[in-house]
Amino acid sequence: MDERITPLRQAIEKVLPEVEGVIGLKRGPAGHIAPHLFQKERPQELNDLSLWPKYPVPDTMRLIQKAHPEAKLGIVCRGCEERGLVEMFKHTQVNLKNVTLIGLECNQDEATFCRCAKPYTLHADLRVGAAIEGVPDPLTDEFAAKSPEEKLAYWKDQFQRCIKCYGCRNTCPQCFCNVCALEDETWVPTAWLPMPMPPMYHLVRAMHMTAKCVACRECEETCPAGIPMAIQYRLIARDVKEMYGYETGVSMEAKPPQLLVLADGEFDKTGLPH
Amino acid sequence: MTTEPKIIGFLCNWCSYRGADGAGMARLKYPPNVKIIRVPCSGRISPELVLRAFRAGADGVMVLGCHIGDCHYTNGNHRTAKRMPVLKKLLEYTGIDPQRLYVNWVSAAEGEKFAGVVRDFTETIRALPPFMETMQGREREAGGKKQEAKEAAWTSA
Repeated sequence: MDERITPLRQAIEKVLPEVEGVIGLKRGPAGHIAPHLFQKERPQELNDLSLWPKYPVPDTMRLIQKAHPEAKLGIVCRGCEERGLVEMFKHTQVNLKNVTLIGLECNQDEATFCRCAKPYTLHADLRVGAAIEGVPDPLTDEFAAKSPEEKLAYWKDQFQRCIKCYGCRNTCPQCFCNVCALEDETWVPTAWLPMPMPPMYHLVRAMHMTAKCVACRECEETCPAGIPMAIQYRLIARDVKEMYGYETGVSMEAKPPQLLVLADGEFDKTGLPH
Repeated sequence: MTTEPKIIGFLCNWCSYRGADGAGMARLKYPPNVKIIRVPCSGRISPELVLRAFRAGADGVMVLGCHIGDCHYTNGNHRTAKRMPVLKKLLEYTGIDPQRLYVNWVSAAEGEKFAGVVRDFTETIRALPPFMETMQGREREAGGKKQEAKEAAWTSA
């Protein structure tokens, strides 16, 4: 039994009277863990409250808010899920005005499993568990040290296993476009497996994750072929931080670089000629 | 005999395309490897377009636009300036030489610069192996004739 489950339950019980429901993870009758809306009318359901495996709850909240825009909600979110909510808020997908964030700090095992640099919450109204420091990401560092030929060989090997199930896109908290470029035959040819190199699907998706990926690793988790595609997103996130000084999910106010008009100094950092 | 490199050049209508025009009018010589595509603004060049050009067999892609501050649409080329460095990084992380994507600013009066830029870039690409050869792997051998037909259909679409 996880020691955070009792304080989390207390936090939810504290928030419940003021809101219409709290989104959290619940163990179903067959043992499957999925997002659930805990409500004060059914307090016994809190007995089945769960923590792990994590599930993209920001997406669940977006769907609920679409149907009930004025609902007062609470949500149990880890550091990555909170970053997802902040980024969705910036792209006007969720409204955080009526939302109480219950921050759940990850423990050391979970952070190591996710190779997470920021396993803590920043904006939460209530916090459960003790915040820990980020852990290094050996997989990404190992990849970054490879030569160009080794990198190409690595991805050839990885991407040929892709069955193009679109699972990484569907589970991503930042993939909310109504019209998806990955479904457009102009960019991503259909009925063509294994995917020919260069893989349009993965490269287009990696480009679209620029300054949006919150490093939650849901894509890698859901991938049936076990492709570590988050390596690319994380390396690009490092460059975006360097070039545009933008980190996803850190500040509610900072504008994503897509919306910036470059000032003189910022333009220098992109490394383009003048 | 070595194969000639194939280069796609996306040129903005207001500056770089006029610059290319100027190069022609001044009878400047530059390599014929570059196939020019005129676009309303360099900010129109989405990463998908560049990637598809590579996917269709281009060895190099040039994106030329107005100088920063001179854009016909005020800040269209700011989008290019933010997007293309990231795409270069992504190519690098995929194991594709980022030199294959070239971004520069050429104004309508810079015919000479255009000719020079095309010359330099063609030489750079000539020094690299053909792009599609570097991409070949197991999936191509496995597919055989059927895959080749599919590839031809998609490339010409």
